[in-house]
Amino acid sequence: MDIPSLIDSLHPLEIKVLTAFGATPGSVLETEQLAAATALEPSQLSMAIEWLLAKSLLVVDKETVTPIVSLTPVGQEYYEKQAPIERVLAAAREVTTNGQRLTIQDLQAKEGLDPSDVSKAVGRLKKEGVLLIVQGGCIESTGRASQTAETVRTLLRQLHGESRELQSFQESERQVIQDYAIKRGNAKEPFRVDDRVTRSFKLSPTGVTAAEHLATQGIAEEVSQLSPELLKDGSWRTKRFRKYTISLRAPRIGTGKKHPYREFLDTVKTKLVSMGFREMRGTLVETEFWNMDALFMPQFHPARDIHDVYFVKEPTHATKIAEPFLSRVTKAHQDGGRTGSTGWGYRFDGERAKRLVLRSQGTAVSARTLASSPAVPGKFFSIARCFRYDQVDATHATDFFQVEGIVLGHDINFRTLLGLLNLFAREVAQAKEVKFLPAYFPFTEPSVEMHVRHPRLGWMELGGAGLFRPEVTLPLGVTVPVIAWGLGLDRMAMVALGIHDIRELFTDNLELIRTTKGLF
Amino acid sequence: MPTISIFKSDFEALLSDRKRTSVPLEQLEEWLMLVKGELKGHNPETGELRIELQDSNRPDLWCCEGIARQVRIKQRGKLSAYPFLKKKPKAEHKLLVAPGMDRVRPYVAACTARGYRVTEEGLAQLIQTQEKLADIFGHKRKTVSIGLYQLAKIRFPVTYDLVKPDQAKFTPLGMETVMTLSEILMVHPKGLEHGHILEGQDRLPLLRDATHQALSFPPIINSREVGEVLVGDEDLFVEVTGTDQSMVVLTLNILAANLADRGAVIEPIEVRYPYKTPLGKSVVTPQDLGKPRTLTVETIEQALGQPLGAKAVQKALEVYGYAVSVGKGTVKAKLPPYRQDLMHAMDVVEDVAISRGYGTFAPEMPAQFTVGGLSRIEQLSDRSRELLVGLGYQEIISNILGSPEDYRSRMRLDGTDWGRMVEVGNVMSLSFSCLRQWMIPSLLRVETASSRAFYPHRIFEAGEVAIPDASQELGSRTDTVLGALSAHATAHFSEIHSSLDVLFYHLDRSYTLVPLAHPSFLEGRAGGIMVDGVRVGVIGELHPEVLERWQIAVPAVAFEVNLSNFTERA
Repeated sequence: MDIPSLIDSLHPLEIKVLTAFGATPGSVLETEQLAAATALEPSQLSMAIEWLLAKSLLVVDKETVTPIVSLTPVGQEYYEKQAPIERVLAAAREVTTNGQRLTIQDLQAKEGLDPSDVSKAVGRLKKEGVLLIVQGGCIESTGRASQTAETVRTLLRQLHGESRELQSFQESERQVIQDYAIKRGNAKEPFRVDDRVTRSFKLSPTGVTAAEHLATQGIAEEVSQLSPELLKDGSWRTKRFRKYTISLRAPRIGTGKKHPYREFLDTVKTKLVSMGFREMRGTLVETEFWNMDALFMPQFHPARDIHDVYFVKEPTHATKIAEPFLSRVTKAHQDGGRTGSTGWGYRFDGERAKRLVLRSQGTAVSARTLASSPAVPGKFFSIARCFRYDQVDATHATDFFQVEGIVLGHDINFRTLLGLLNLFAREVAQAKEVKFLPAYFPFTEPSVEMHVRHPRLGWMELGGAGLFRPEVTLPLGVTVPVIAWGLGLDRMAMVALGIHDIRELFTDNLELIRTTKGLF
Repeated sequence: MPTISIFKSDFEALLSDRKRTSVPLEQLEEWLMLVKGELKGHNPETGELRIELQDSNRPDLWCCEGIARQVRIKQRGKLSAYPFLKKKPKAEHKLLVAPGMDRVRPYVAACTARGYRVTEEGLAQLIQTQEKLADIFGHKRKTVSIGLYQLAKIRFPVTYDLVKPDQAKFTPLGMETVMTLSEILMVHPKGLEHGHILEGQDRLPLLRDATHQALSFPPIINSREVGEVLVGDEDLFVEVTGTDQSMVVLTLNILAANLADRGAVIEPIEVRYPYKTPLGKSVVTPQDLGKPRTLTVETIEQALGQPLGAKAVQKALEVYGYAVSVGKGTVKAKLPPYRQDLMHAMDVVEDVAISRGYGTFAPEMPAQFTVGGLSRIEQLSDRSRELLVGLGYQEIISNILGSPEDYRSRMRLDGTDWGRMVEVGNVMSLSFSCLRQWMIPSLLRVETASSRAFYPHRIFEAGEVAIPDASQELGSRTDTVLGALSAHATAHFSEIHSSLDVLFYHLDRSYTLVPLAHPSFLEGRAGGIMVDGVRVGVIGELHPEVLERWQIAVPAVAFEVNLSNFTERA
């Protein structure tokens, strides 16, 4: 790395350390001197030093290890209440003076001392000739002074509140310190000896060059954020902009985004419009008439059972059904009327036709459109919310979208129906291979089911279609042939969105909605 | 849409009376297109096939015999006529209907079938066919029900009598003891299931033979003595009763054709009514009720978009089972006796297409030009959605069908006008028992479930609601509304107000807020959104009690705008 880009990559803390060497880049500085020169917190300083060492801009000149003595909490306690050795000695002197007998057990009980402390103190004092163990395990003072006890007392006093270098003590004191310092396996001692590592640093040759560069370019102040002020007075020119570590993960932010399933439906909507389809809208509540009767589903049809449709509680019936549709549909059901059909041959119930239901099929919207004198030729679609009276599970939702519509025209026939379905296969499912199977819908004849080979999903049913029966179109005033089609897109959407439960299309899990990728 | 179970070997045996060949599954699936069938499952060990039949107007296809028949006709080029339709009934083969039956269960049809020794597979098919026909075609036995009996135990003439509920007794199938008809209705599982069909009748139907032996109590249950067919039985008596004569006769025709296909000799029976019926007072069954229908070849060609010619049409229909004669530019077509689904010329058109195979028709693009476009309300909704996305809101989609608890109670709207909704009469689950009348509960539903998603939460939905409205024919309006909600520790009125302001600016509408007392919002922190003096929406800080009821632990602010109000005025 060349020097300028090296300098650019430096953190402000590193610069502070480098510039601390100042005019004499060759000098050797100790950590404390660096701390003074940079005015950095110890943690910041050590961070900067480690970084510079890692970059080989700084090298360790010398490393000195200084043992430091200090009091432990136990030492603090001894300072306040005397060390065990002194207390043992004092007790021994007392019994010797008044002629009483004192065993080591008595001593433990009387002074409330730890057995190990007592035995250690007795051992030491005996060795010094200060104590005697006489017959019966009793202790007696010899009247001599204890060097150890005095040294301990002095050390406790000297170290109280400050630590000192081990070397500053006399040899005899150092010996006592070593004897009474905490060691592995024995933490209950008054003194501790820690190694203080002092390092001195000097700049490496590259470090020297870098420091010289920093010195000559002047100490450009480093800034992290470009501000309006910097731009306004042009002072950005004299600033350094710290470089970021751009490989870090970006923080998360909330997004404004369309719902992935809705986006999928939007795509379908756009495709249909681009193919010349006009949107139709309907109502969530429909009459049985438009939901079923107008579609030539006989009133005794099994799918019209109480267990297949949601009925409205209040009001139960519409106020009326528009004429001439009601009479014409009635006739179509009963004897075919003028449709060329025999009809279903039953007595049509006009009251039943007014019964209000929750729309159960999008075809209801198509029926309404047929009755509204639609343009011929004409293409219409709707993405209609429908309701199915069913137990909810992974493949059944009570609430779902149906994508369907109609095509009216003089050139509409079975072959153009297949042509239209081919177009859907290509445009909506990007499928090149299509299979047409005979199917049954109450309102179309002939009826087709379309299976396509989706580029990723393999063979799947894409939709159903057919030519509306004349019993449907003629009573609604349409005399040209009409294609009715419907696309089953839920499965495609589910696979594309990577979900396996249809209820997840309408999930209430915001995290899931935020993180599901849309399709495009 | 029945799904039936058949056995592959049984199907293969019905296909050919000479040598039986194994049919590959691919071949079977192709044949199933002839019957609008779909193979749903196959057990290679037992040879069982599960097939779904789509066409609810073709009950003849809901059985192994029917599917095999449709394939067989195609293979042989023509349906060979069923001789029993031309036969005269034997003098003793009479079924006498009691006076008054026209007010109970007016129609009956019957025949005998001799010489087919019932196999295990055959019996399974007989029972399945009986169930599917009575259940689906016969509307759970209301319109049509079926009985099968051991012919040897029956002495003709059989009578279709009306008796007092306690007057007659027999041992029904599934029971050990003799029971009266009223006991059967009260105790027998079939009586409990189907008894309602005879509700309000003081006399009940009973089929009896010349010795006064009970055959069955239609449409409830057969006698255990006579009405239980077993493997090995050779001679059967078959009857169908019901409320629609043509359906009753058609059902018998299907059963007779099925048994004939299995080798039985069918002998007709004369039914004598004491009252007039659409087919007269004396009706021989089975009976071919089909009437030939003349249609122009042009009609067919136009509908299919393909020139075919009369000969090709004739061929296509014959190999599909029709009887056809060709006239000048016309064909006269008659359905086989086991079908009755020809209502319109278009039904014939579809059969021509199926018979020739949908794959033989080349798809052709509709050439006429049309202009596409979105409705005004959809455009407005899309534009609003774009704006909300730009404002940083995440779109959601919700069910419209929900619960009064969510849409009303949790919103503190019980007993208020705000709480009126379109409710379901036949509730299956309270969770899905009403349509949402406003959007904010849908947003709160997501908020409740998302306390662990990082904040702030800004969400919106544009969608439909149903608003009760007595001035409408349907008793309600479907409006498109837009709702937006912001929830986080410092959510505040002015924040949601700013979003609303931007929305209205870009929708090019000016609005004012007027103070509004709305139970869902904190008092003094809610407003009605007014456009030209009409309230088009609400905005406010949600009431802490609402948040508590939704178990939401952060403040939430929201607005809702009825977009339909905009377009109506535009």
